[in-house]
Amino acid sequence: MRIFDRLWQALDGRLELAPLVDFATHKVVPQHRHSWAYYFGGLTLFFFIVQVATGILLLLYYRPTSEAAFESVQFIVTRVPFGWLIRSVHSWSANLMVLAAFAHMFSVYLLGSYAKPRELTWWSGFALLVLAMGFGFSGYLLPWNELAFFATRVGTDMVSKVPLIGGWLLKFLRGGEEVTGATLTRFFGFHVAVLPMITTTLLATHLAFIQRQGMHVPEGLEEEAATRRPLRFAPNFMMREGVVWLAGLAALAALAAFFPWELGSKADPFASAPAGIKPEWYFLFMFEALKLLPAHVLGIEGELVGLGAFSLAGLVWFLVPVLDRGSRIGHRSRAFLALGWLALAYIVVFTLASMAGAFK
Amino acid sequence: MRNHSFLALVLALAATVAGAAPPPNLVRPPGTHAEDTCTACHMALDDARLRTPAKLTDNDIHHAQGVTCAGCHGGDPTSEDAAVAMNTAKGFKGKFSHQAIPEMCGSCHSDASFMLRYAPNVPTDQLAQYRTSKHGQALAKGDTNVAICSSCHGAHGVLAVNDARSTVYPTRIVDTCGRCHGDAVLMGHYGIKGNEIAEYKQSAHYAALVTKNDLSAPTCKSCHGAHGATPPGVSSVSNICGTCHVTQRERFDLSPHKDAFAALSQPACESCHSNHAIVHPQDSWIGVGKDQTCGSCHSAGDSGATAATAILAALSGASKGLGGTQQRVDRVQLAGMLMDEAEVKLEDAHQAFIMAQVEIHTVNPSRVEEKTKAVLASTGAAERLAASAETEIRYRRTGLFVSLVVIALAMVTLIFKIRGMER
Repeated sequence: MRIFDRLWQALDGRLELAPLVDFATHKVVPQHRHSWAYYFGGLTLFFFIVQVATGILLLLYYRPTSEAAFESVQFIVTRVPFGWLIRSVHSWSANLMVLAAFAHMFSVYLLGSYAKPRELTWWSGFALLVLAMGFGFSGYLLPWNELAFFATRVGTDMVSKVPLIGGWLLKFLRGGEEVTGATLTRFFGFHVAVLPMITTTLLATHLAFIQRQGMHVPEGLEEEAATRRPLRFAPNFMMREGVVWLAGLAALAALAAFFPWELGSKADPFASAPAGIKPEWYFLFMFEALKLLPAHVLGIEGELVGLGAFSLAGLVWFLVPVLDRGSRIGHRSRAFLALGWLALAYIVVFTLASMAGAFK
Repeated sequence: MRNHSFLALVLALAATVAGAAPPPNLVRPPGTHAEDTCTACHMALDDARLRTPAKLTDNDIHHAQGVTCAGCHGGDPTSEDAAVAMNTAKGFKGKFSHQAIPEMCGSCHSDASFMLRYAPNVPTDQLAQYRTSKHGQALAKGDTNVAICSSCHGAHGVLAVNDARSTVYPTRIVDTCGRCHGDAVLMGHYGIKGNEIAEYKQSAHYAALVTKNDLSAPTCKSCHGAHGATPPGVSSVSNICGTCHVTQRERFDLSPHKDAFAALSQPACESCHSNHAIVHPQDSWIGVGKDQTCGSCHSAGDSGATAATAILAALSGASKGLGGTQQRVDRVQLAGMLMDEAEVKLEDAHQAFIMAQVEIHTVNPSRVEEKTKAVLASTGAAERLAASAETEIRYRRTGLFVSLVVIALAMVTLIFKIRGMER
């Protein structure tokens, strides 16, 4: 123990760490009937850490070219010791991370935690969700299998509908007119360099905001929070979060072992598109809605109208701390609360219905 | 005047010998559409019988390639006066008789130097073949019920043979032949049953054509010939089937059946497989029992029956082994294991099994057994891979169970620790 004490003294003497430890030990987490919602952000962070760890391990064997990508993933899952587990955990953890991020975002929205002074936290969180979806979209193509290839073709094709810069965006994403090996290399670059760099920076900012501002007590629960003894962040809240992380780890292990992520067959750019191409589940609510739109709405291409509507909805969602004026003084608008429930219901219903094959 | 006529005749003959281009008002250069006064006038006629041919010229390959109406019907398309344009003195022939049509079509299609204008390798033996066909022979005897060129290709609105809309395109030719050959009353006059088309439509060949869109699958003309259509003789049946089923034919030629069938004047392939209603053969056909193919010549106890029993036993063993291994590999695959190597072994086994089925044509049990042993060798390799994958699944599940116990213990410990702290 003396060694640790001396090490601590040496570090504290140089870096003045005592105020930080003091901050952590005095930081408290309010307790009320909805304090369960505070754990989703941490759970998302846990899956992100798993993604980084397993992603680095996959990098040891993965080769990002159209000739070798599929074979390298096949090699990982068949020949590399525990490669099947790492690849399966990476794929499952990616999906669970997006799920946890959605749960975190909706709990924050529905409890009104986006209100002033936490606008920046909301905006950085929104950007992190978009980045997570970007991770999902770029990572989906990397095994270079048939479904991913065609789903990427459909997905990137939608970008071309964007007015004025659509054509340029399409070429930027694909590295040419078509989805080719150039697209794969570029997506690989986004997936392992660009997106992690931005995400890590933004994540650090997001966490710093939360630590600085503390947890938000939802409107109407202030009295309850005042009467209940708050939890100390370290170690009580951290240990509780540890239990949640362990549950996440157990879920990951069970899913990876019982439902290993499929590899499918290698992409053949000259083959015709297989039936039932679908994007990852978290894009389904948009994908199915776009499919339901007629070819033309008021003389404008249906898909363009749909993409415009989703962009507008995303903008409203992003700007909710500004648009919901009452929230600044602790009286959030009922209309925005209803909008949140409506968005949640729409996403859940469309995603589940699509998974159940209701849109075939 | 007489001298002039003589000179014109000499020039015309010289032009013909030299393969010179036909008059440009009758046949224009290839690729030039052949609209003229004939189509213009006929298009405007009230009589649908006369208007329809002109309307059909839009899709007609002859018109698209510059052959005008007068190219076949004669006359002078440069004149807008019907009396001049359709004057017999101008070579106008009007409607052709049934018997005249093959010769009329052949006047261009049998002319190699003329047809060279359109494609370097276009066949020019259609008329010669037609004359040898049952159709051609009957026509020569004055039978006007038989098929002529226009019966299959159409008269106006003729499409290229490789045009999917053409009546002679592989997927449509069966129904084209069936227009006559499906008519039992008409066919009765020629001693033909008239059920051949219906039988063919139950065959594996037709299924390949329409369900797999396999244009190389045999249709009527593949076995009977197109322009020289005739029933294949007994001795030529195996030649015809053997053009596609090469290996089966080679094996059959090695078998004692070859001489035996020839001695009995029995057609080779057809005796066991039938002719038009050829379905996928089943291993269960092998044997001398009721409804088994070999039983039509062999009976229990003879050498043929003994060979059939041995062949069936070898095939059944291989088939059972193949089916069982396939199921096991599928099961392991469903559990999430990649079984690509086992799939390759199974593919090898399938190939060897097909070869074993081909060896049946030798009616030599040892040759069949040689191939079925190869089937079992490949299924054995796939079984070993499946067994190793099953061990891996058990190992993973045990590992998962141990991990879950460790995680659960850690969670319980943490929960107790938290409770202790917060008490």
